[in-house]
Amino acid sequence: MKRITFALAMIAASPALGQVTADTPNPLAGKADAADAGHALFGKMNCAGCHAYDLTGGMGPDLTDASWQYGGKPGEIFHTIAEGTPRGMPAWKDKMTADEIWQVVAYIQSKKQ
Amino acid sequence: MVVRKILFGAALLCGAALPVLGAGAPGGEAAPQNKSFTGAIANLAPGDAAGQWTRQARDYANTRYSPLTQINKKNVGRLRIAWTFSDGQMYGHEGAPLVVGDTMFLVTPFPNIAYALDLSKPGAPIKWVFQPNPDPRAIGEACCDRVLRGWAYADGKLIYNLLDDHTVAVDASTGKEVWRVLLDDVSKGPTMTQAAFTVGDKVYVGSSGGELGTNGWFQALDVKDGHTVWKAFTNGPDSGALIGDDFKPFYPWMKGKDLGVSTWPKDMWKQGASAPWGWVSYDPDLNEVYYGTSNPGPRTPSQRPGLNLWSSAVFARDANSGAAKWAYQFTPHDEWDYDGVNENVLLDIPWKGAKRKVMVHFNRNGFAYTIDRANGEVLVAEPFGLQNWAKKIDLATGMPIVNDAAHPIVEKKVENICPPDIGVKNWNPSAFSPRTGLLYAGVFNSCMDLTNHIVQYIPGATYDGMEMVRHAGPGGNWGEFIAWDPVAGKRIWSIKENLYVWSGAVVTGSDLVFYGTMDGWFRAVDARSGKVLWSQKLGSGITAAPMTFLGPDKRQYVAVYAGVGGGAGVLRREKGFMPGGNTLYVFSVDGTGIGTGASQLVSHAGAAAPVSVPPGTAHN
Repeated sequence: MKRITFALAMIAASPALGQVTADTPNPLAGKADAADAGHALFGKMNCAGCHAYDLTGGMGPDLTDASWQYGGKPGEIFHTIAEGTPRGMPAWKDKMTADEIWQVVAYIQSKKQ
Repeated sequence: MVVRKILFGAALLCGAALPVLGAGAPGGEAAPQNKSFTGAIANLAPGDAAGQWTRQARDYANTRYSPLTQINKKNVGRLRIAWTFSDGQMYGHEGAPLVVGDTMFLVTPFPNIAYALDLSKPGAPIKWVFQPNPDPRAIGEACCDRVLRGWAYADGKLIYNLLDDHTVAVDASTGKEVWRVLLDDVSKGPTMTQAAFTVGDKVYVGSSGGELGTNGWFQALDVKDGHTVWKAFTNGPDSGALIGDDFKPFYPWMKGKDLGVSTWPKDMWKQGASAPWGWVSYDPDLNEVYYGTSNPGPRTPSQRPGLNLWSSAVFARDANSGAAKWAYQFTPHDEWDYDGVNENVLLDIPWKGAKRKVMVHFNRNGFAYTIDRANGEVLVAEPFGLQNWAKKIDLATGMPIVNDAAHPIVEKKVENICPPDIGVKNWNPSAFSPRTGLLYAGVFNSCMDLTNHIVQYIPGATYDGMEMVRHAGPGGNWGEFIAWDPVAGKRIWSIKENLYVWSGAVVTGSDLVFYGTMDGWFRAVDARSGKVLWSQKLGSGITAAPMTFLGPDKRQYVAVYAGVGGGAGVLRREKGFMPGGNTLYVFSVDGTGIGTGASQLVSHAGAAAPVSVPPGTAHN
């Protein structure tokens, strides 16, 4: 019951893919469940293969430091995940829903130093 | 332990790494001065002029042996920088310069810019630059930095791979593109980082992407126009792997039909990687090429029960047709990312009273194999560094006896598996001297705590599953540089280094071995005793292969890139790891050369012909 309520709340709160701008706040910010769900997705969607299971990077950039090639605001991170980058980050908008991407953003935000 | 650490520190303060004589030092006596330790020799075909360096490993056999002797034990201490060249690209530098005639050829990491330098003029100015402009999407698909491990010269062309899955040929005299062929789809994961290898009218190239769910392949292209002469997939049906009637593996467990399919769960071979991204060697007598294959994908082994042929293996193929002659899987059902792509050095050794044509291969898994290259029989398989995943290699079956404690477990940390994924040695090529009969290799001393995760295949994303923490092995030093006896299967001497020794090596006719360290020291070592004779700190860590050549002034030079990167980046948070770089350093005795002496004192704008200082004349 709790899970369903939570999922509904997220759908209600999340802006659709095309409506996210650099300044859009993460609708799931601060919600521990969202970061946990993002953690699971981070492994399941193979993000960890490039950015490492501790997010400190390897094949891809460190996600825990203050350096962001494509912007470190939640909306910018959302955009990078959804659209990919010209330097090889795949676009995930066809493989994850907007809510799932926000969960991954929440997880990354929870790990920022 | 504290005392040991202090002693180690003191040795470093003295400015010279100290050699440790192995049990193999002959009776504790002084090393033989002109005798071979082992009797091993090599066919040095194609037998280029002594001062030239026209292929990455100098010869088909992959010895990296130069017969030059101008720089010797007496004057090596006077090596100084003659000139340098910065290529501006900041990814890891791994290849060795080629010298053909009076021209030096360099190719940068991504974006794979080629330079021809005119060695006949002061300061070796640029003759031409070629910019291929590869697709930047390749940056995100390359597992281990955006590197290129080498480039090739043949038929008046400089030929090399681009990270975005092209091979390109450039006119060596003009720098104009002659041909470019597309060999795979970078958006799905494969890249090309391998050093193209040329023999006669063919260039041999292989794919990269062991962590990207790729379907690895190796192919021969025509040097004239780049068209594919033959192509062999590593895995899958025998027809695609060019496995037919000529295929005679030595061990029975590698015999059977379509093992590249049946040793995998249904269809998983299609994303089974096994990419041939390492070195190629060639035997002109047998007319065979030899190359290894990468780890299987995904790296989580519980997802792919079976032997997973032909991952983590070596192939012998007919150079003309590609028909497989034999194969040997070093690490069956590889559970630790022990790729089989390291160099195969082709030697002739005395073996039980007869001569055997062998290959010597330092595998990531920590065993050095001496294998009969005519039939694939393993003659010697001994640890050359720290490993605990296997008790031994059973020479009766060719199979490792795996240590039960080394099996990874999904979602559970298994501690202290040695070596970690990057191995006891990686792609960094060893050198062999026919004078000493020994091989010289940079090696790693480390282990991992490993937690495996289940992964799914997503095209273009990693297909990996290994979460690990690497730590240095006993002694606290991450690296060593060793001399190896390939007949007895034992170390002769070793030099401890702070970080992984991830550079290539070159050995000369004056018994000098050159290698570099990740903390930026370029060293010359006595090939017989392991005594360090000269060291120079460079501007970045060294992960490239050094080489040596004679300039147009008949003077011997030694060259190496300093530009740490590639897989060596796994130590980027360790003390002493240097920032990236992109400078080629060229050394000579006293730093003299075409750019010094009288020519140093004039502007080269409109200058007359450069003044050459004869060899052996120190400038004053």
